Amino acid sequence: MAKLPTPEELVASRPEFPAQSWFDYKPKFEAGSYCYPAQKPTMELMHMPNPHDWDPAADDWNLPENWKEILCDAFADRLAKHRSLKLFMDICVRCGACADKCHFFLGTNDPKNMPVLRVELLRSLYRRDYTLLGKILGKTIGARELDYDIVKELFFYAYQCTECRRCSLFCPYGIDTAEITAIVRELLHEVGLGIHWIMDPVKNCSLTGNHLGIKPHSYKEIVEMLADDCEDIVGIRPKTPFNERGHEILFICPSGDVFADPGIYTFMGYLILFNELDLDYTLSTYASEGGNFGSFTTFNMAKKLNAKMYAEAERLGCKWILGGECGHMWRVINQYMDTYNGPTPAHMQTPVSPITGTVFENAASTKMVHIAEFEADLIKHGKLNLDPSRNDDLVCTWHDSCNPARAMGLLDEPRYVLKHVVNKFYEMPENTIRENTFCCGAGSGLNTEEIMELRMRSGMPRGNALRYVQQKYGVNRMCCVCAIDRATLPPLANYWAPGVTVSGLTELVANALVCKGEPKRTMNLRQEDLPHLDEEEQGE
Amino acid sequence: MKSLDVFFNCREQVIEEWVNAIFNTYPLQSTGFLRTVKDPFTNPVADMTREAARTVYEAVSGWDKKPEDVKQAIDRFVHLRAVQAMLPSQGIMVFYLLKPIMRKHVLPKLKDQALQDYLDAESRLDTIVLMAFDIYMKSRETVAENRIREIKNQHAQLVRWAQRVGGSPLEQEGKS
Ligand code: SF4
Ligand code: SF4
Repeated sequence: MAKLPTPEELVASRPEFPAQSWFDYKPKFEAGSYCYPAQKPTMELMHMPNPHDWDPAADDWNLPENWKEILCDAFADRLAKHRSLKLFMDICVRCGACADKCHFFLGTNDPKNMPVLRVELLRSLYRRDYTLLGKILGKTIGARELDYDIVKELFFYAYQCTECRRCSLFCPYGIDTAEITAIVRELLHEVGLGIHWIMDPVKNCSLTGNHLGIKPHSYKEIVEMLADDCEDIVGIRPKTPFNERGHEILFICPSGDVFADPGIYTFMGYLILFNELDLDYTLSTYASEGGNFGSFTTFNMAKKLNAKMYAEAERLGCKWILGGECGHMWRVINQYMDTYNGPTPAHMQTPVSPITGTVFENAASTKMVHIAEFEADLIKHGKLNLDPSRNDDLVCTWHDSCNPARAMGLLDEPRYVLKHVVNKFYEMPENTIRENTFCCGAGSGLNTEEIMELRMRSGMPRGNALRYVQQKYGVNRMCCVCAIDRATLPPLANYWAPGVTVSGLTELVANALVCKGEPKRTMNLRQEDLPHLDEEEQGE
Repeated sequence: MKSLDVFFNCREQVIEEWVNAIFNTYPLQSTGFLRTVKDPFTNPVADMTREAARTVYEAVSGWDKKPEDVKQAIDRFVHLRAVQAMLPSQGIMVFYLLKPIMRKHVLPKLKDQALQDYLDAESRLDTIVLMAFDIYMKSRETVAENRIREIKNQHAQLVRWAQRVGGSPLEQEGKS
């Protein structure tokens, strides 16, 4: 009889590891762990270099013949362009402080997902070509020459980093692995390697203004449909000003809020709030996307997609921009917009709230205010009539989305707003929130369904903390200010803490907002019965 | 000494060895961290492994445990193993790593007439593995269901809109 393996033999999943150094261990491209490649026509249309057909699971990636030269030149070019990159290559002392801070490492237990080793993949190439010792000693000091497998490895791990920046918080030198991942992705694009989930929105955004490529008239009609829903719920139909000149404010939000559940409830919240304030604003079909998937490909693409915000503000003559609940849009605005496309058009002004008179000095250079700041200011000045008991069916917790939290420090404003519109709020454990927040596991363009397994792993630290408050306090709603989170957290919650639903902040604001002249409200924005209805009926 | 006491006296040692055997299925460079960091939120894998191991060993020993409590204790652990990059057999087989450890530490200390007690204990482990298998399958189904739901949700409003355009058969829907 053939010998059956023992349980020990069956689970031995690391035979190669002790024998081989981590350098030599090659990633396995198995379904569920890599994203589908960008399509050649898309890459051509976007004038990306070396567009070609390829399959990540195949041996041959059909790279251009001189791929090595292209990559080496591009790396040299980026080193010259970004002083930070050169610094990050040089100063890491491999102290390991960042090693266990990455949700990908925590969820996969793959050592190359430790931020320090993720960067080491690139640094090993740097050492070989740019340091004297590396040239002489080579492999003994961790230097290696670029080969085909290393390209695959760079791809594998650059798309297992959500550019969340949690690791940089713990690095004594502030090395920002997210920036390095962004540059690795940029290098890979030079030899025609990109992913469909990112490049398709980039194409759509370039051609029609939003990620799904919805044409202006259709976009407008969908917004009208949501305004109809608002009327059904609130009894008042909010205005839907589109592409109108001469308004004070241009409002831009992620298009996910218009097309996707549960983002639409946040969008309806915007409409209801602005209508109640009688805000002097317009929406735009051209700038119908706050998100910027270009920022997950190359700096130039990010710059191009970002440019339309100011261009549209200029065309429509708006004085400042109010920005909706988006994640990476705010990273781009806060960290890059000024350098990409600044200074702002001459007529734009430092934002001033028309309702409270507050001057948003923090937005003096970008001219763009976050909706949570705007709402917090309204509440602080007592300008909103709020009935938080309308959200009494909800026990809420707050997810700090990586970009607003770590790239712009938006930590207290949304909490301030939330605490005024709901009665039941509980924080997740301290080392998983605010600057320490754990990523949803699928940011930076990794929110695609083909890697659902990977996302459930990388999102595990977030899901784990959520599950804790669900069991301890009965939390049933996780709120956030990020459209990608509103798409990625529902499956994550469904897996790690089933029963918890997800929403944006403004959805809950609009639930609680008592509008002037509104008939008695019986539904929330999801058209579910409001809590306490039965009690009131009994009381009557 | 009663069999139950024998199981109880070896408890810490068996659990520790078992947990380490599970950690050892991960790459070498990761195990140090898994072993040493105790915080349940910054080292969730170790936390869920320990939670599962303790309850499973106690249940296997013959302590009074409700099936629901055992399920609850292994739930996170199995959910994790269901999405980590490994075969289903590798995901589940870690439970069986307990057997050689019990045979090493518990079995020699039991008197001959207690052999039945020991076999009963191993059978209880088999039952728990079947519970884990159910959770594992449910987890995989949730992953598949998540994919479908996500695709639907992404375009939810587009479909609604498309159905309205040009007049829907539903009167109240066709007013755009
Ligand atoms: S930026 Fe985030 S995802 Fe990337 S290595 Fe650091 S912690 Fe991990
Ligand atoms: S914490 Fe900073 S210096 Fe230390 S290993 Fe990580 S990147 Fe290098």
